[in-house]
Parts: sequence; structure tokens; C-alpha cells
Amino acid sequence: MKPILWAALVLPAVLAVRPASAHHAFAAEFDSKKPVKLRGTVTKMEWINPHAWIHIDVKKPDGATVDEWMIEAGSPNTLLRRGLTKDSLKIGTEILVEGYQSKDGSLRANGRDVTLPDGQTLFLGSSNPDAPGGDKTNPDKPRP
Amino acid sequence: MSYRLLTWTGILFVAIALSAAGQTPKAKKSAMPHTPWGDPDLQGVWNDATSTPLQRPSDVGAKDILTDDEAAEFQAELAHNLSRDRRDGGADADVNRAYNEHWMDARRLKITADHRTALIVDPPDGRIPPLTPLSPERQKAAAARAASNARFNAGLPDRYQDMSLPVRCIIRTDSPPYLPTIYNNDFHIFQSPGFVVIAPEMIHSARVIPVDGRPHPGKNLHQWLGDSRGRWEGNTLVVETTNFRTDDGVIFQNADPETFRITERFTRTGADTLNYEFTVEDPKTWTKPWTARIPWSKVDPGEQMYEYACHEDNYDMVHFLSGAREREKKEAAK
Repeated sequence: MKPILWAALVLPAVLAVRPASAHHAFAAEFDSKKPVKLRGTVTKMEWINPHAWIHIDVKKPDGATVDEWMIEAGSPNTLLRRGLTKDSLKIGTEILVEGYQSKDGSLRANGRDVTLPDGQTLFLGSSNPDAPGGDKTNPDKPRP
Repeated sequence: MSYRLLTWTGILFVAIALSAAGQTPKAKKSAMPHTPWGDPDLQGVWNDATSTPLQRPSDVGAKDILTDDEAAEFQAELAHNLSRDRRDGGADADVNRAYNEHWMDARRLKITADHRTALIVDPPDGRIPPLTPLSPERQKAAAARAASNARFNAGLPDRYQDMSLPVRCIIRTDSPPYLPTIYNNDFHIFQSPGFVVIAPEMIHSARVIPVDGRPHPGKNLHQWLGDSRGRWEGNTLVVETTNFRTDDGVIFQNADPETFRITERFTRTGADTLNYEFTVEDPKTWTKPWTARIPWSKVDPGEQMYEYACHEDNYDMVHFLSGAREREKKEAAK
């Protein structure tokens, strides 16, 4: 099967089913020119459906004061299904977030990738649902 | 032994035999769970996520069921195309994918267990039948819809109707037919004598379906989710729905509200499995009716339905419209 042909045929068919992200125009909210990489400690987790929010304090360069960031995440059921529970992101947990900042310049970002203190990354690196933790070292590697 | 005793013994035997005979169909019925009042029991939280496309992709030809090897390849290809862990396409594509695969329903990357190449089972080619030519009136409506969408996508909506029903938090995946989406594919079914209620995770409607034989209301009562009437055929709940509202986007694929009709069949196939099948018909939209079948499975006991935090008349409407006017002002000042 040819990947290019598949992308052309299958994706429109799947997308035609529902306006999947119609409610949330990500490009309208987050700025592709403002990628962010934030290391901070969790101050609050809001389990809101369909988009949970992780609040983190990020130390400013002076080392004394903090910026309060809000990181948007997926839906609660999805997070639970993946094993992320209310105990996974306890207050005080240090996480590393990579994402994109909001267009209006406020301290909000979408959580593209989130890494936990033990190095566990909320990035599976594999499109195979049966093989979590696939190739973490090379997420850009083309998949079958 | 007196004649009387013999007679009584005879009656007793006949009574036992009769009651045993009477129980035969009941015993068959009880293979699947039933409610205390005797209806098939469909209750619980079900999930319908799958990567199997609604329509059969052209390059699998006429093949409706795949072998194990073919199925593995099919699933891998679909998962690759659907995956949000891809980094191709640059930052613009990346920001639109928003979150990596971790945030998405993992179940949506698996094809159906029966290895079908399409959710559509009729017509046999797995494709939506050819469309009926649109009347000039409906062509005009389609053009107006496209213009609305274009304004919204450009960040310049003119009126609240330029925002689709999901954007306005009115209906989303709660309008039948139920089709898999990127997340929140859960449906909570409740039953009480004479009623079945379906509460989908998106958005927050409860679809109340009478199963007590009452007729549909008059033709003039139109509702967001249409008007549903159910009945039991053996273990299957059959639901017929008409009388949808006429607003854009209420009816599946913008079929004609006057002639659109959907028949859904819910059949429990095991403790944790259910078959959901729907047939849509509208001679003004499709040249013939068509049917799709989607397997539902019970969610893990640890999962639960979450309230969907989206309501009509939220601040977004004000922001969308005031933002659009600001953009226009800035543009005019240039």
C-alpha cells in the first residue's frame, strides 16, 4: 500500500465523518511562531472536559519570582485511559512542557509534549496503540 | 390412590409441563441481560472509537473483510495518517494537531475486530450511494453555508450563525447517527420502564426515547435531535427518528429535514459488546438508503463520563464577533 495514496484517500474520508476539531480552532488560539519550552512546578490541575488545564509556576530568569502558566491538555477520559490519574500530576511535581504559546501573548500554551520528573514522557513515539513507548529516541522516524 | 389424588397429580404434571414450555423462549431470552421489567438491558457507558473509515478506501478494491496480515497493515496505515505524533508539515501543521497522541483516544487507532474495510455495510461497495442532484434552492443554501464557513475560518464571522452548532455548544456528536471522532466517544445508556435514554459525552443532551408504542408527534414539532420513537425487536432496540430542526448542520450531511429519516438498531452481543447499526434515507439527498455498522464496547470500570464544559451563549460568541469587527477596523485603517 502506498502511504501517499493512503493519505489522500483515507484522511478525507475519516475527516468527513465529523468536523473533528471544529469546536477548537487551534491555529486561531495558539501561535506556530511562538514555540515554548517550559520547566515548571504544578500548582493546579483542572479536569475539564474536553480540555483539561495544567497550571504551572515557571521561574523567571531572576530565579526568585515566577510566571504562572496554563497548559491546555486533552480530554479527561483520554488522559485517564492513558494512565494519567489525579495522582500523576500532584501539586509540586516538576514537569517539562513543549508547546505553542497563545496568540494574544497571555501565559497560556497547548501542551504538545509533557515530560514527567522520572523522564516518563507523555509522548508515545509510536502510532501503534498496542506498543506504547515505541521509538522515543527518534519521534520523527517515518512509521510503517 | 384415589381418583382425586390421581387427578391432582395429573393437573400438577400438566401445570409443570406447561410452565416449562412457557419458559423455553424466556430461557433463550435470558442469554443476554434483561432489566427487572423484562426489556433487554443495554445500560452502561459504551465507547464507539475506531479507525475503520466510514467509506471503503478505493485502493482496497472490493475487499470487505481483510485477512489478519492485511488487517495489521490497514490498521498501521490508518494509525499513521491519524497520528498526531508526526512532526511533518512544519510548525503550522503541528500547532493544528495541538497535542501529541497521548491526549487522544487511543481506541481510535484500531480497526474493528471483524477486520472490515469500511463501516458502511450496505451498499456492498462500502461507499455512500451517489447523491441526488440538489434543487436550485438547496444549491443556494449550500453556497450560503460555504460562505459562512469561509468567514468563520478567516476570523471574520458576520453573525452568530456563521459559527457552527458545535462551536455554539448546541449539538456536536450527540446528534444521530453516532460516528466515531477524535475523543469523547462515550455514550451512557439508561433505561426505565417505557424509556431508553442516551447521554453522549459531547455535548450534553439526554436523548429520551419512548419505547412504549406512542406515535410520533405532529410534523410541525422540530427538535435539535429530532423526534425518536423506539421499539424492541427481540433483543434489538430499533429507533426511528424524524422531525429534525431545519437549521444548517442539524441533520447529518445536511439532508432535507422534510424527507430525512434515520433508523438505528442497538443489539447487545455480549457482556461488554454491542452492535450499533444505522440506516439513513432521504430521496432528496442520496439515490438510495445506506447502512453502517459500528461496534461499541463497554468502557473500563475506572472510566466515567465527564461533564462537557461547553454551553450556549458562552463568552466565545462575544469574542468571535467583537474580534472580527476589530480586525475589520484595523484593516480599514491601513
